[in-house]
Amino acid sequence: MRCLVIEDEVDTSRYICNGLRDAGYAPTAALTGDDGLAQALGGRWEVIIVDRMLPGSVNGLAVIRRLRELGHTTPLIIVSAMTSTEERVRGLQGGADDYISKPFAIAELLARIEALWRRSGIGRHALHLQVADLTLDVGTMRVTRGEKVITLQLREFRLLEFLMRHEGQVVTRTMLLEGVWDYQFDPQTNVIDVQISRLRTKIDKDFPRPLIHTVRGIGYRLAALTPLQADATGRSAATAAIAGE
Amino acid sequence: MLRARLKRQGGSIALRLIITCAALSLASMLAASAVFYLGLVHMIDANTDEKIYSQSRRMAQRVASRSPQQIADEVKDALVNGIDGDNDGEIYLVLDHDGHSLGGNIAGWAGVGAQRDTLITRPVLRRGDTVRARLMVRALPQNGILVYGYEADERDSIRPLMMHALLQGTVIALALAVAGALLFRRLVERRIGDVRRAAADIAAGDLRRRIAVTGDDEFGLLNRDINRMLDRIEQLMDGIRNVSNALAHDLRTPLMRVRGRLDEALRRPPDAGLLADTAAIAIRDIDELIRLFERLLQIAQAESGVRAGMRDHVDLQKIAADMVDMYDAAAELQGVVLRLEDGAPVELQADRNLVATAVASLIDNAIKHAGRGAVVRVGSAIESGGREGDCAVITVSDNGPGVPADQRDKVIERFYRLDQSRAVPGNGLGLSIVQAIATSHGGELRLGDAAPGLKAQLRLPRIPAV
Repeated sequence: MRCLVIEDEVDTSRYICNGLRDAGYAPTAALTGDDGLAQALGGRWEVIIVDRMLPGSVNGLAVIRRLRELGHTTPLIIVSAMTSTEERVRGLQGGADDYISKPFAIAELLARIEALWRRSGIGRHALHLQVADLTLDVGTMRVTRGEKVITLQLREFRLLEFLMRHEGQVVTRTMLLEGVWDYQFDPQTNVIDVQISRLRTKIDKDFPRPLIHTVRGIGYRLAALTPLQADATGRSAATAAIAGE
Repeated sequence: MLRARLKRQGGSIALRLIITCAALSLASMLAASAVFYLGLVHMIDANTDEKIYSQSRRMAQRVASRSPQQIADEVKDALVNGIDGDNDGEIYLVLDHDGHSLGGNIAGWAGVGAQRDTLITRPVLRRGDTVRARLMVRALPQNGILVYGYEADERDSIRPLMMHALLQGTVIALALAVAGALLFRRLVERRIGDVRRAAADIAAGDLRRRIAVTGDDEFGLLNRDINRMLDRIEQLMDGIRNVSNALAHDLRTPLMRVRGRLDEALRRPPDAGLLADTAAIAIRDIDELIRLFERLLQIAQAESGVRAGMRDHVDLQKIAADMVDMYDAAAELQGVVLRLEDGAPVELQADRNLVATAVASLIDNAIKHAGRGAVVRVGSAIESGGREGDCAVITVSDNGPGVPADQRDKVIERFYRLDQSRAVPGNGLGLSIVQAIATSHGGELRLGDAAPGLKAQLRLPRIPAV
């Protein structure tokens, strides 16, 4: 899958490209806004990653605006050292699909890319969700695992729904905070982890095969994997984050 | 050279003031004189008319028994003898019933048919000159006519007098205007001089310098405002200095830890497992540092008010409920009961995410410091306030150890931590950010005694001050 990485800082560019390559993508680096725009217009890309601040006449935001003006619908992710909410809003209004603050872990970027592709995919509006023997009915708010009916508080239900709709994907804490609670801030404490842990005791505790898996340092993944597989994926994401020298 | 000087002076407020003052006083002089002149003329006319009317009547009555000829003789005598003199513009003329002059001090009279007993204005020939006269014609009892009046040109004689007075007045007024403006200029220059000298000192680096405030006049008020602004700037500069100091201190420790661990891993014989673990730990520590940076940045942003444009309509009770919902699991884990007090919606214009950050920080703070078994209550309310109007208030209170009264200001400071809470995880920024967010919304953070425990109140004005 072809990715275009428009980033002027050579080390950061290499870090992103290596991370993407390790995850099975085919990244191409562009070091200026002009070059980036030319390449973006000249080729077919599955996703374009743009640095917000680029030297020269065309900055990241201008690249995005131009592409959108010309009718390109390729998913666009901004990576930026400007972390304020205003910048974020400006970026998203300019046509970006997501905004990631620097510094970030590669796994976070991968999770976001994956989430973008799935955004319009299956299960988006489904009312009945199922992963392995776990089922969730949005209409009746009924959750079962195997034969057992599981009682959840409203927020736990929404949390589980979010995880199930992103089945198999890594969801970061920020994504959960935005998707489930609809706030954009850093709660500092591990509130999300604690919420997940409580949900986990209700969903996984009495069953031999856990469905909610921790991706170390990044977030969570709900998937019908064996514990061994889950551990292996978790390790690989962490290793990818570390290995991007 | 003179022109250049004038041009330069033209920029000065004082010169413009002098010109304006002079023009204004000149205009007011002219207006006053005009009114005075017209009034005076009117008065003189009225006076003359009145005199003519009564005098002519008295004369006509006094001579009722005499013939016109006798009267004329009397008049002639009077004029010749100079009893009345003949230089005050008074006019007499006695005519017989045919209109022949019997005597008087004007030559002939063409207006026999003129209406009687009415004031008229006519040109007459007197001492060889044609002059305008204000006259009254009266019928004498024994078939004669008395023409009596005054030269109307009399009133013209006051004109040069007026002009003279006007000229003198103008000179005096101009002199006063210039003197006043110069005096004002000296005053302004002296007062502005204070400000300029202080500004120069501050620009040179003396940030503690203030302008002397004298008097309650406009300059006094301006100086006070400028001083207040300087206080605030100094306070912000101090804040930045404190943060820099705190950063230097508080970041050094975790950085040292990361560096030490990496260094140690490199000095050992290469071992992929050890290196991977070390790197993972280093990344965790660095992430922690990044969050600290984020936090400080957030405080700085809130303090500088850059997010003023991000306000929307929010319900404080809803945010409180959301945050309680978000933290309930964490509270449970800590053995703390987190409770939301019921309440009606508390609506205001605010930055939703910032307010949520503040409420989350207060709850986080309470859970961490109140200790196992404590109860943390979160509630919102509208307090109809006095001076500052209605206040939207979120109260987070616990029944933990609380904060001693003399430490309450301190715990809001960046990186400050009570001795008793050193063991509790945290970075000492929680309350600073609440304070910064409160300030950016024109509100405040109040710490009080929940007896026992800490009562923290985030108070936001419902109509933000402009």
